[in-house]
Amino acid sequence: MNTVLDIQHLSVAYNRKGLALEDVSLQVPQGGIVALLGANGAGKSTLIRAVTGLLDLHHGKITDGRVHMSGQIVSGMPAHSLVRMGMGQVPEGRLVFKHLSVEDNLLVGAAVLPRAQVKAGLQAVYQLFPRLLERRNQAAGWMSGGEQQMLALGRAMIAKPKLLMVDELSLGLAPLIVIEIYKQLRVIGETMGTAMLIVEQNAHLALSFAHSAYLLQQGRVVLSGTAQEVLASPEMKVSYLGEAKAGKGTT
Amino acid sequence: MNQTAVASNKPVNGLWFVFWVAILVYLPTLLTERTLFGIPLTNTQLLNLGLTQINLMLISMLGALSLNYLTGCAGLISIGHAAFFATGAMAAAIFDNQLGLPFPLVLLAAALAGALAGTLAGLPSLRVRGLYFVLSTLAVHYVVTYIFLEYQFKFFDVVGIPYATPQIGSIEINTPVRWYALLLPLVILVYVGLKASLKSREGRAILAMRDHELAATAMGVDVRILRLKAFGLSSAIASVAGALFAYYLSNVTSEAFNINFAIQFIAMIIIGGMGSLPGSLVGAAIWLLLPSIIGGLSPDASSENAFLSKLLVENRAQLVQLIFSILVIVFLIFAPGGVAGLGTSLKNRWTAWRNTP
Repeated sequence: MNTVLDIQHLSVAYNRKGLALEDVSLQVPQGGIVALLGANGAGKSTLIRAVTGLLDLHHGKITDGRVHMSGQIVSGMPAHSLVRMGMGQVPEGRLVFKHLSVEDNLLVGAAVLPRAQVKAGLQAVYQLFPRLLERRNQAAGWMSGGEQQMLALGRAMIAKPKLLMVDELSLGLAPLIVIEIYKQLRVIGETMGTAMLIVEQNAHLALSFAHSAYLLQQGRVVLSGTAQEVLASPEMKVSYLGEAKAGKGTT
Repeated sequence: MNQTAVASNKPVNGLWFVFWVAILVYLPTLLTERTLFGIPLTNTQLLNLGLTQINLMLISMLGALSLNYLTGCAGLISIGHAAFFATGAMAAAIFDNQLGLPFPLVLLAAALAGALAGTLAGLPSLRVRGLYFVLSTLAVHYVVTYIFLEYQFKFFDVVGIPYATPQIGSIEINTPVRWYALLLPLVILVYVGLKASLKSREGRAILAMRDHELAATAMGVDVRILRLKAFGLSSAIASVAGALFAYYLSNVTSEAFNINFAIQFIAMIIIGGMGSLPGSLVGAAIWLLLPSIIGGLSPDASSENAFLSKLLVENRAQLVQLIFSILVIVFLIFAPGGVAGLGTSLKNRWTAWRNTP
């Protein structure tokens, strides 16, 4: 299988405050869904920022290592050009354009497509999330959280990215809606071959949808493997879920 | 479902269009001959308005439109708008008085000078945000007005820069009606142009950038370039308006472009509605026409109430200031969306009321 995202020995530091990531290597194959797990402060967001080119905004710096996308070195490139190269983003907290209509939100995402493909792109998103079609002329900021998350996902998918970075999709959403959106994510992955890197607080949920997973702890990868392996591993139970909660999964 | 709604709206829109065209075409006749279909009207009945106020309003509309595009649509607050008016006035002096270019080319040169000045003024936006950026536009204001002052004193004198009567081909723009015929199409052109630009890919990206810069970046928008472009376009329009303003007044000093001049545009778009292009027009109309309307009330009041008329006549300037400040505060508190926001909420209520059985 082709590797879409290949992170090699990445280290990141914020403002000389010590390393936030240390020697992290991670691969996402084509069509693969990879979950990135870890407690708060483990470095998940830093990893996403480093890959998406938003590290500068947070005064962070890659001190070592490289990020490749489809064989090209992308570390150090500005965020907006990465999108044009095929990196889609569903940012944490959804961040839909509040005052724009649903359709305009999608059209902003579609601006990297050739004009002739925009209409088909819109249709594909509406097919995936019929709810968005119903609301297409409504201002995005006044929709429910679940609908906004669908919109954030559609807005990223419409550009037909090779790689999709999904950050904290379940944040503040009802479990049923989260599962519905995850199911659609999997459909996207299977039909379009999009590679996905998913950051998720709810480890059980993430592991039930992902093919493989990486566990971060204090900026280092402490565990990686298929979703089943990671789920079954004792480190996972002890270090991340906490022993007491380990038995009570939510899925 | 949507298409039928559009279709049923069309004849109504057409009627509105005819109605507005009729008013705009008839307005100069009404205000110069001061008769309505042959019936003479008094000053008070015409709200004390003349075509000069209308023309100045049209020039201000250009300023308000361009500022609203920058502040309301692109999310960049600027108190440097007077500086771009001054840039236009200065460009007109250089290219007309000193180099003798024909008037249409002078306007074009003013637009280019404005775009250049605006892009330069927008450069701090690459590094600073929010309040700090606003302060940088304030700095731009003082730099440009200082340059204007120096320029005025070096090549002209204390009385100001004189501007000749503009000429398009063999037609001299020397009457209010001719100015109206020049300014009205220009305002419509800028309005339609900005409206269309906001529907384009870049326009949508500008609105997206205003709503959330980070998310726009994550959608592949290069916000830095876009900000400079928005600034350049807005300043180009303001600069053309500044050149026209200078020609219209026929003599301009650096005093004309003081900080109050810049702030009045902010007030216009607050009253009219932040982010709404039609709102900019309404805001400029209120700001420019209300003073003479208030002034027009005084003769009438004199017959009934001596105290009120005395108050109106003697303190007109203060009264106008007071009313405007109250207006801005009231809008900020009770209608942050301005007149445009009020309009939308009324429309929403109306459709809700119509749709309930």
